[in-house]
Amino acid sequence: MPLTHKQILDAVLELMTELSGDWEYSGAITAETRLLGDLAMDSLDLVILGGELQERYGQLPFSEFLAELGKQEAEARDVTIGELVDLISRQQRATAPGGVA
Amino acid sequence: MTPKTILIGLDGATFTVLDPLMAGGVMPHLRDLVADGVRATLRSVVPPLTPPAWTSLMTGKRPGEHGVFDFFQKETPDSRYFRFTSSHDVQSATIWSIAGDCGLRSNVLNFPLMFPPPALVGCLVPGGWMPWRQLRLGCRPAGLFDRLKELPSFNPRELSHDMALEEKVLEGCAAEEYLDWITLHTRRERRWTEVFLYLMREEPADFGAILFDGVDKLQHLCWRFLDPALAPKDPTPWERDVRAACLNYFRELDGLIAEIVAAAGPDATVLFASDHGFGPTSDIVYLNTWLERRGLLAWAGDRGARPDATHQVGINQIARHVFEMDWDRTLAYAATPSSQGIHIVRRAPGGSGGVADEDYHRFRDELAAGLMGLRHPETGRPVVAEVWPRDEVFAGPFEPWGPDLTVRLEGDAVVSILRADAVVGRRPEPAGTHRPEGIFLAKGPGVRRGEAVAEMSLLDVAPFVLHSLGLPIPDDVSGRLPVQTLEPGWAPPRLAEPVEAASRPLVGASVAADPIGAGVALDAEEERLVLKRLSALGYLE
Repeated sequence: MPLTHKQILDAVLELMTELSGDWEYSGAITAETRLLGDLAMDSLDLVILGGELQERYGQLPFSEFLAELGKQEAEARDVTIGELVDLISRQQRATAPGGVA
Repeated sequence: MTPKTILIGLDGATFTVLDPLMAGGVMPHLRDLVADGVRATLRSVVPPLTPPAWTSLMTGKRPGEHGVFDFFQKETPDSRYFRFTSSHDVQSATIWSIAGDCGLRSNVLNFPLMFPPPALVGCLVPGGWMPWRQLRLGCRPAGLFDRLKELPSFNPRELSHDMALEEKVLEGCAAEEYLDWITLHTRRERRWTEVFLYLMREEPADFGAILFDGVDKLQHLCWRFLDPALAPKDPTPWERDVRAACLNYFRELDGLIAEIVAAAGPDATVLFASDHGFGPTSDIVYLNTWLERRGLLAWAGDRGARPDATHQVGINQIARHVFEMDWDRTLAYAATPSSQGIHIVRRAPGGSGGVADEDYHRFRDELAAGLMGLRHPETGRPVVAEVWPRDEVFAGPFEPWGPDLTVRLEGDAVVSILRADAVVGRRPEPAGTHRPEGIFLAKGPGVRRGEAVAEMSLLDVAPFVLHSLGLPIPDDVSGRLPVQTLEPGWAPPRLAEPVEAASRPLVGASVAADPIGAGVALDAEEERLVLKRLSALGYLE
């Protein structure tokens, strides 16, 4: 039984809220929060975060996801927590028995 | 419970630096420990580099046997794309996983390749390229990070990896930044020690291991201030200040070592080991330029990063070769400077580029012969001391992941992967670089006292640790118990009987039946996406 989008969103928001509590970030963590622009994560952070999410939710098409990110103009290159959750949710549905992406 | 064994890792430590510091009174506690114990040169593995070498220390195995070759790992044996090496690549039992299997607890701090966190009986705070913003994700058991946050001096930003600071190690740092940078590493070692001492009190373990990696970082950037042979005769005030800051780092480190040894108590075995040694470097060998001149490598148009003032390539640029090269006209390339390796592009089934299987050995032999024939433009002397084919140096189940050829350069030269106007260059000021000769020191029950003994292999450290804990040495470990360090006939009480490797349940290490990625054949589109991913992450420009 795949997790619902809301279950994943709640869990990832909880994770990111917990992590950002260790930083100098005092804003609210929402689905719209940007990992690079708002949370000041760097490239190594994204690699580690991707590893953590795959530990929790199984193999993700993280390469393709970041590839799409890389196509964007440098100024617009960013990813929100909601977009990460969408990725996980899509993959959960695709890998469920009888699921389609 | 008091610990049976304490391992203090000194990344990159060398007697070239430590001996004068001990003799000169900068490290009196370490001097006294040596007088009360045993010392030996510790020969590292090929390549003498942090990820493979510490993994060899943890496992007692060579890179071809444990699966870690470099900071980056190939996606697949024939892929030209590389990803960060992680704990999943350590495909062998480790000293802490074996201890856990036998019911012993371990506290492990600041060792590389510990994320995602492997199962461990005890406490883990990972090191290596673990970014400070996510340090809590790597701490085990659950809740440990929050407990550490309660410590008055706990500061993850100073404790863990900060990409901007790390790049200064390889890319150089402005003169006015040296003192702050050195002082940061002095504070960082204090932070790690405070965590270690806290765990010794609150989470007592049979085996404790802590790695001080500032030694390596200082030696990279500040070698000319540490090597007595390079000390300026008439130093400028700035040079005096930098030298003083370096000495202060080692003085403080000595004090931290004394605190740990005192906390461990008189009955503990305490050992020190470095993953590799260090020495000066001035010459740079541009391997990809050499390959280009032999018609074996082509840059894509105007691409090909050229050396800047520091003549070094930083972390963010290390994988840029994927963008830089014309893969239709490239047969061999050096992927990273750290691996000292050359990869041969193999012809894909049905493809036209690359080296065909039937030509592989001839091509590789000719390449090796060419490298051995390379001469220094000024001295006429050989540039390359040794060339190893991977089946010779990386024999084992993970051999296909290693470079096809690995070089050891003559003298003090290092490898660069950059595009240059000449095959051999020279940096304006000497820097520090890795050498195979590291250090081993130990004291404790059954350890010889006041002796310098014959050279050991890095692979022998794991057997030494297991023996000191009273644990059996698995029969698949390539290292051997360094009996020259021990009193004849002495053995600690046995805690467990030897078991064959195949039958031993592995608690700590995640050992896959096949190498990670073994069953994954990336098609062209997937490889393109990996390339894009690297680009998105900033590893390529």
